[in-house]
Amino acid sequence: MTVRGGTLAGPAARLWLCEPCGFIYDPEEGDPDSGIEPGTPFEDIPDDWMCPICGATKADFRELEPGEFPED
Amino acid sequence: MITGYGHFVQLAESLQWDEKAIDFSADREAWPKLEDAENAKVLGLIAGFVVAETAVAGNLHPYRAAASDDSMEATFRAQARDEARHARFFDLVASDVAGVPGVTPTERRDVLRARVSPELVELFEELLPATAQRLAEDHEGLTTAVGLYHMVIEGVVLLAGQHALLETLQGLSVGLPGLRKGMELVLRDERWHIGFGSRVVQSADIGREIAEPLLEQGEAAAKAWGDLITPAAIETAVKQHKRRLKAAGIKFW
Repeated sequence: MTVRGGTLAGPAARLWLCEPCGFIYDPEEGDPDSGIEPGTPFEDIPDDWMCPICGATKADFRELEPGEFPED
Repeated sequence: MITGYGHFVQLAESLQWDEKAIDFSADREAWPKLEDAENAKVLGLIAGFVVAETAVAGNLHPYRAAASDDSMEATFRAQARDEARHARFFDLVASDVAGVPGVTPTERRDVLRARVSPELVELFEELLPATAQRLAEDHEGLTTAVGLYHMVIEGVVLLAGQHALLETLQGLSVGLPGLRKGMELVLRDERWHIGFGSRVVQSADIGREIAEPLLEQGEAAAKAWGDLITPAAIETAVKQHKRRLKAAGIKFW
């Protein structure tokens, strides 16, 4: 499922894909190591945040479409 | 969480590039004008990449053979194509831009090996081949082998070197646009390689017995570039390594 039940991120929190490395940002999980609390929508992440896997910038992410989850 | 293997194969297909299509004419003209310290640093980093990329390109086959399914195998195959290109690219820079003597890539690599630290040579020409050999004999060790190859070597050593080279190029007294262009393309490839390795680690749900050595290996390997990389850059690489391992699902912090 692409659309997750949300908390602070809202009832239909969407997932974001880091296109360069495949990391998926899930608002339900956030990125606590970087100070991004669970429940933080992608749009509310600071612009200087970097992908925890490859170091790409926020601009390198794209929002996954409903139903799209590239598991394989 | 990290996407499935199919994403990487599609991505790799869309990112193909040809090292021979890069224009090095301005680089050839600029190279003799480099100051001595600039020459030593850039050539040192190129030497490291020549040694490193040749080794990673030459040791990936056992990983393909140990892949747990077809989609993982296809991803290793796509990566192998990239790694071979990276090795050709750095050899091309060494021969056509820096004028490193030698008729063959092996001869040029022999010349350049003296410019890199014994630790880097040991990592790429002893530890990596030994790990690949063990994997060839026992396919059960894939997660540990990916931990060394993708998380430590690519995620810590090569990524730190790539950032160092791009930063060095930025501050040179003359421009080396062909080298910069190729380095950026290599870095773009490396991002998905690291994502792929992270996905393998994530899928394996590894425990402390693999995770802790993986962290320690990363901390030690970050120093393999010697004084070609600043202490601050080494510290950053180690921090990123820890953060990446955690993002890949390791939960011992």
